[in-house]
Amino acid sequence: MRDAGRAPEVDFDVLAHRTLAANDAAWAGLRDCPVAWTPHHGGHWVISGYEAVAEAFRDWETFSSARTDPAVSSITISGARLPLLVPEELDPPEWHPVRRVLAALLSPQAAERLRPRARHWARVGIDRIIGSGRGELVGDLIFPVPAAVTLEWLGFPEADWPVFSHAFHDAAAYPHDTPEYRAAAAAGAAVLGRVTEEVAARVAEPRDDGLTAIACAEVDGTPIAREMAEALVFMTIGGGVDTTSALASAAVLHLHRHPDDRARLLAEPDLWDPATEEFLRVYPPARTHARTVTRDVEFGGCPMRAGDRVLLSEVAAGRDPEAFPDADRFVIDRFPNRHLAFGAGIHRCPGSHLARIVFRELMGELLERIPDYRIVEPEVVEYPNWSMIGGWAALPVAFTPGPRLGP
Amino acid sequence: MRVHVDVERCTGHARCWSVAPEVYELDDLGYNVTAVKEVPPGLEEQARKGALACPEQAITIED
Ligand code: HEM
Ligand code: SF4
Repeated sequence: MRDAGRAPEVDFDVLAHRTLAANDAAWAGLRDCPVAWTPHHGGHWVISGYEAVAEAFRDWETFSSARTDPAVSSITISGARLPLLVPEELDPPEWHPVRRVLAALLSPQAAERLRPRARHWARVGIDRIIGSGRGELVGDLIFPVPAAVTLEWLGFPEADWPVFSHAFHDAAAYPHDTPEYRAAAAAGAAVLGRVTEEVAARVAEPRDDGLTAIACAEVDGTPIAREMAEALVFMTIGGGVDTTSALASAAVLHLHRHPDDRARLLAEPDLWDPATEEFLRVYPPARTHARTVTRDVEFGGCPMRAGDRVLLSEVAAGRDPEAFPDADRFVIDRFPNRHLAFGAGIHRCPGSHLARIVFRELMGELLERIPDYRIVEPEVVEYPNWSMIGGWAALPVAFTPGPRLGP
Repeated sequence: MRVHVDVERCTGHARCWSVAPEVYELDDLGYNVTAVKEVPPGLEEQARKGALACPEQAITIED
């Protein structure tokens, strides 16, 4: 659909570039065009310049996250049919009280209290492989650790955890025509069922866990609606599980390919803080989010109309040379580093504090105990799609075996 | 030196606090509640780094 009013026009199909390298290259191709129109996927705006992405994230009144079709997710450009994402697909005023519930549970101070659990599960993960000298880091360590921290904190019994991993990780890790993907879809339905059961159980009998805090939360002075609590739990799992693991996968692979960066982190652990931000900038797990324009507006010199769809690119924002000197280079101690990997504005990731803590503990344990790991490059498997969430399905490794530490 | 935090603009990234915990104070949701503050001597460098770390550019420094 060519539309003379909508310019500049680019030929950009975010779903067509299916490897990390191809997807990165496609975004790099838009560098001279911070705001543009593409005819793909029904026609939508693409915002890729740092300032424009940050401004659109912040202006929630113009760039709405709410659904226009109740069955279709508003924050993906592909029109995925997903359960409502709460609070992500709410605008104020509905957004505010629900967000508060989660923000309090995942504040920097609250997240810090989960650090020992992150360390514990990282230790368990390394113990699983350290005696053998080989393993598959995504399945043995990188995926299970964030999942265990999140699901244990929420209060799901351990027997549920593998089902949840299949639902969230396998749905992203396998192409749509595989049996694994179909099994993931079935697991997704099972997760929804378990969330419903556990929320009901906490309302009946409160405990000291995250599920209870959400199930028994008050919203504007009245008990939270049951469906709202269920949706919030579902989004906390979905948002919290596969994103942190994608970041750790990227870092593990990067440190394999860049031994100088690995050596510096081993010698100077203080570098972990800036390095974490640099991993987030260069390898953002959430690469894009979509919005819907609410009013006719000129934005970045472009005439946008109410109802237009917009794709915001966290990944392109992070590579904008106007915002980051030497933007294509990984600089381990880069500062300042105001990347948008956790978004910006009101929907900015409330899980960011926990994500940083889990990432740090997981990576610290890995580098400390198996500092000489080597990735078996020919067996590396990327996610089949980098349009929205990027990550790795398999990272086989070999290393010098070491002792298990035990529980 | 003084710091001004635009609390309307702050969305709780807590990056300011992570690099300058002695200058910036968070509420229990992780949002900056510092508003306006005279920076204690010796913490100027921290205060400046905290402002630079804020993704919302919510902090301004007045020398
Ligand atoms: C490295 C890890 C993570 C990354 C890169 C990430 C990224 C993001 C981004 C970019 C957004 C904004 C989305 C938008 O504006 O539409 C977001 C929102 C959100 N994230 Fe995360 N996230 C991560 C980890 C987590 C964790 C650990 C949790 C929970 C335990 C979580 C829960 C959420 C929730 C609930 C929202 C919606 C917030 C709202 O709408 O107010 N995320 N995340
Ligand atoms: S870094 Fe900025 S947005 Fe985040 S808490 Fe500090 S002032 Fe607020």
